[in-house]
Amino acid sequence: MTTTAPPQTETWKGQSIRRTEDRRLLQGQGEFTDDVWMHRQGYAHFVRSPLGHARIRSIDTSRAARLEGVYAILTGDEVREMCPTPFFQIAPEPGGRIAEYPLAVDKVRYHGDAVAVVLAETRELARDAAGLVDVDYEPLPAVVDTVAAADPEAPLLHEQVGSNVVWKGDFDWGDVDWALENADHVVKIDRLHFHRFSSTPLECNAAVVHWDPGTDTVKVQSNNQMPMFASMVIGPTLGVASNRLTFSSQDIGGAFGIKIGSYPQIAALALLSRKAGRPAKWTEYRTDHMLSAGHGNERVFLDTEVAVLKDGTILGFKTRAFDDAGAYLHYEPLGAVIWSQVCCGCYKLRHIHVDYTETVTNKCPTIPNRGYSRLQHLWFLERVVDVVARELGFDPVALRKQNYVQPSDYPYETPNGCVYDSGDLPRSLDMALELIDAPKWRERQRELGRGSGKRIGIGIGSTLDSGTNNFGQARIINPNLPFSGNGEAAFVKLDLYGEINVNLGTTPQGQGHETTAAQVVADVLGTSPDAVHVTAGFNQQQNTYVAFSGTYASQFAVTGLGAAQGAAERLRAEIAEVAAFALQAPIDEIEIRDGNCFVRDDPERAIPFIGVANLIYSNNAVLTPELRERISLNCRYVYTPPFQVPDPETKTGNLTLTYASQIHACVVELDEHTGEVKILDYAALDDCGTRINPQLVEGQVHGATALGIGAALYEAFEYDESGLLQQASFYDYHAITALDTPDIKVGDIESPSPFTPNGAKGMGEGGGAPLHAVCSAIQDALSPDDAIVSDSHNPWERVWRLMRSGEHGEPRGVTVASRSDAAGSDATA
Amino acid sequence: MLLESVEYARPDTVEQALTLLSQREGAAPLAGGQSLVNVLKHRVASVELLVDISRIDELRRIEARSDGGLEIGACVTYDELDGSDAVRASHPLLADVAGHIEDQQIRDRGTIGGNCCLSDPTNNLPPLLVALDATMNIRSRSGGVRQVAAEDFFHGYFSTAVGEGELLCSITVPPLPSPGGAGYSTVSLGADSKALARAAALVRGNGVIEDARVVLACFSAAPMRHHGMEAALRGAPATAEAVAAAAAGIGDGLDPPGDVHASTDYRRALAPVVARRAVCQAIGNGGDERG
Repeated sequence: MTTTAPPQTETWKGQSIRRTEDRRLLQGQGEFTDDVWMHRQGYAHFVRSPLGHARIRSIDTSRAARLEGVYAILTGDEVREMCPTPFFQIAPEPGGRIAEYPLAVDKVRYHGDAVAVVLAETRELARDAAGLVDVDYEPLPAVVDTVAAADPEAPLLHEQVGSNVVWKGDFDWGDVDWALENADHVVKIDRLHFHRFSSTPLECNAAVVHWDPGTDTVKVQSNNQMPMFASMVIGPTLGVASNRLTFSSQDIGGAFGIKIGSYPQIAALALLSRKAGRPAKWTEYRTDHMLSAGHGNERVFLDTEVAVLKDGTILGFKTRAFDDAGAYLHYEPLGAVIWSQVCCGCYKLRHIHVDYTETVTNKCPTIPNRGYSRLQHLWFLERVVDVVARELGFDPVALRKQNYVQPSDYPYETPNGCVYDSGDLPRSLDMALELIDAPKWRERQRELGRGSGKRIGIGIGSTLDSGTNNFGQARIINPNLPFSGNGEAAFVKLDLYGEINVNLGTTPQGQGHETTAAQVVADVLGTSPDAVHVTAGFNQQQNTYVAFSGTYASQFAVTGLGAAQGAAERLRAEIAEVAAFALQAPIDEIEIRDGNCFVRDDPERAIPFIGVANLIYSNNAVLTPELRERISLNCRYVYTPPFQVPDPETKTGNLTLTYASQIHACVVELDEHTGEVKILDYAALDDCGTRINPQLVEGQVHGATALGIGAALYEAFEYDESGLLQQASFYDYHAITALDTPDIKVGDIESPSPFTPNGAKGMGEGGGAPLHAVCSAIQDALSPDDAIVSDSHNPWERVWRLMRSGEHGEPRGVTVASRSDAAGSDATA
Repeated sequence: MLLESVEYARPDTVEQALTLLSQREGAAPLAGGQSLVNVLKHRVASVELLVDISRIDELRRIEARSDGGLEIGACVTYDELDGSDAVRASHPLLADVAGHIEDQQIRDRGTIGGNCCLSDPTNNLPPLLVALDATMNIRSRSGGVRQVAAEDFFHGYFSTAVGEGELLCSITVPPLPSPGGAGYSTVSLGADSKALARAAALVRGNGVIEDARVVLACFSAAPMRHHGMEAALRGAPATAEAVAAAAAGIGDGLDPPGDVHASTDYRRALAPVVARRAVCQAIGNGGDERG
């Protein structure tokens, strides 16, 4: 790769240099988990439940075991014997009583639940053998709806919990009762439903796990994206100390949060490897992935009431939220607090009451999926704002701008103590509307007469991508959890011949960490990114990690690059010290540039990096003992954000460090005859603070936009009453492709974060803006007497029904109660 | 194995293929493999011997007939149909439909014969071939060629007029009526996903519709002509209004399946829409336009 040097006054930060990792990824030279090969390895295949809920009467492995080349078979009963304890649960009682093992024990609780795993000589043989494992099931009634699951009469998933309600909490900030009493209008929305879908990584889950009997260590090479969390969960269950359990990965073919959830399988593979005395290699089939890798959270909001003044000020709302965690709690119930990072969304709502219930159901466990838990809530808020505008006759643009947090409000403290760092939401909205030329489409919308068979709608999605979690928020879920803060580690080293090497604690999945880390380190060390080698992937044995390490929750630009910058600054100081010694000059006169150290005003006195490295690595007798002892040129730095511990009682605190904003604007055309939705224009306005590499930001905006459009129109995981997944392959789950993705106009604002080392904010999840914008646009295209858009998933038939709901006199799903003196106000004009 | 263990043969001639197919029970022809291999992977059906016919030269030809029609070998791929000058010249709609099946990788391998013989009710080509009044040329080991009208060829999923030991070798597509034209309309969720409702149409006439064939797909196990709508079109002016009138209510008498993507009610409502659009395209009035 060649890059040209920036002018002296500029930095590499902020430039769209090409991605370093693309050369190997685009030439088929990446190393993914399935590329890993170990001597004597066997191939694993899981036996999965064909039923939604059933008791396991018996498992007969004899037919499978007789196949030549089958090394070992493991079942739930055996796993229970091998494990000192089930998986650690984040939930307090009663949800914390769930006893989950690496394989299902006694019962299966969802279609795809793993009951056994086979290790065999070839991938194909393992699959064949898995097909010969005979499981005798006694079917049980299933529950697949979260609200129904909360009913005490519903079929119970985990008997020891005593209920399907695994977590319940009351989030009450401000004074909602006061707001509703003093509002001029109260808008009541019966039910809003955020549906279940997932991301579609090109690479499914994979792992090669070796329980090495010689060293009694467990080596995990996988594409898990949050390896230290996996380590903390499975270590005690395997009875393996964390210094004997090591994770590594190089290239990961997309993860989106879903790959946080592969730890149960990794644990099962460790036990299988132990039993067989061989490394166990597993690459998930797509159908297995769709059945069991993890889905995004489904959420229902009931009986929402919104308090609005006649001038359009929205005071606040109350609602009853039901979240569907699926059959086991994987990372859940953290989602039950993570939404509150954005409790008021982009708006200055001060009175909020959410009665939050999380249940298990006979469905695939949920796992964080791009926009995790916030996008559900942000979608809800955007529906609320659009419904308020429509019911009370406000312009949805003006209503948003009026209620947005204003540029002068930053840093803005939300009712629950979160601090929005910076931004300019009104200008972002103006810019997004300019990009689509909104007035043109309004005109087109008016021109379209009845009988044209088409309707046009313009929609807005205002959203936040909160990044860099304060893990102290886990205490709001369970006050006994000893978690708080966040952090990431990096090493920056001057190597033997003066080369610069960077190790990261992150698990990049396409975000370009090698490129952006090189840009940041190059700026600190006064060199070009070409001169900085960033080690590809994650390797626990490099010691570059803390418990929060990984790539998730929109934080790399802050935590990962913060760590790289801190380590580079330490290295720079060490280099300067060695140079000052070598050049016999005061350290504050040392300048570092282009791989050389100079004495300011006397550039003839210089020592190159290779000379500095030589003194430390292989020529140290010339140094003073003090320098020899202290300088290593191998600098570790752990970036930690300035967090405090939140208050579990009031459920308040600063839960995330940064708030990137995305304002999307969308124009749709609905076909009255078929309900088809065509996107005519689309704009995404992104503000993620200082951008380290604008083109990489734009790429992630594109990806998040496509995912959201796919979710809004095409992608859903739905179960029948018995708990069978209806979309378990690409025949039925239409993952969005380039053919379905409109041209996306991208604009940007940079509002630097005052709280981060580089002004950047985490981004990439995108806050689900397309779901909000597409639903908003469909709503805009409907007639006033039609029902409101109450579902986040709007395939053609649902849209077709919405367009007929008014003339069929169906319930609209919304009512308004206004004070008598509010009638005739501007609001109802 | 990904597939169950299966024998494989690749004959050079149709005669050899027919011999293999008739000698062995559990033998099945493999053309592009875009559906059969998936069926085998999911173990919905099992086959003992795969007879790979995809490289038999005589099955891979496209012939422009002197009458303006086409004779298309069963193993001609979608991409070859799309790129064929002969097909583009006489039946551009057939080329367009083939050129929009799924994605390029599938179009490189999937074949016209395979698309027909799988006879999935959501497949693209069966309703079009019924509308075009194509003839399916089936050969057996005895050397005889059995000609079956496309309309009688499709019996349901995996079920066609091709019997044991027989092979669909080519498809004869008659010339388009002159004056006249063909049309095709689909509602699907996403650009390259399964159809929810589909119609194909062939119309003879100019200004006035002299004759019409209207074929619906996704409404039953096999493509079905809608004789009621055809009768209503005969003699009607070739206008969008007249076509709409003929299409109105045609869904009422249908009993389409309901599934997770489209309910029975919704499919019924789509029937007149796709039928109207296909006929409008055939009469050059409205074409792909919605409305």
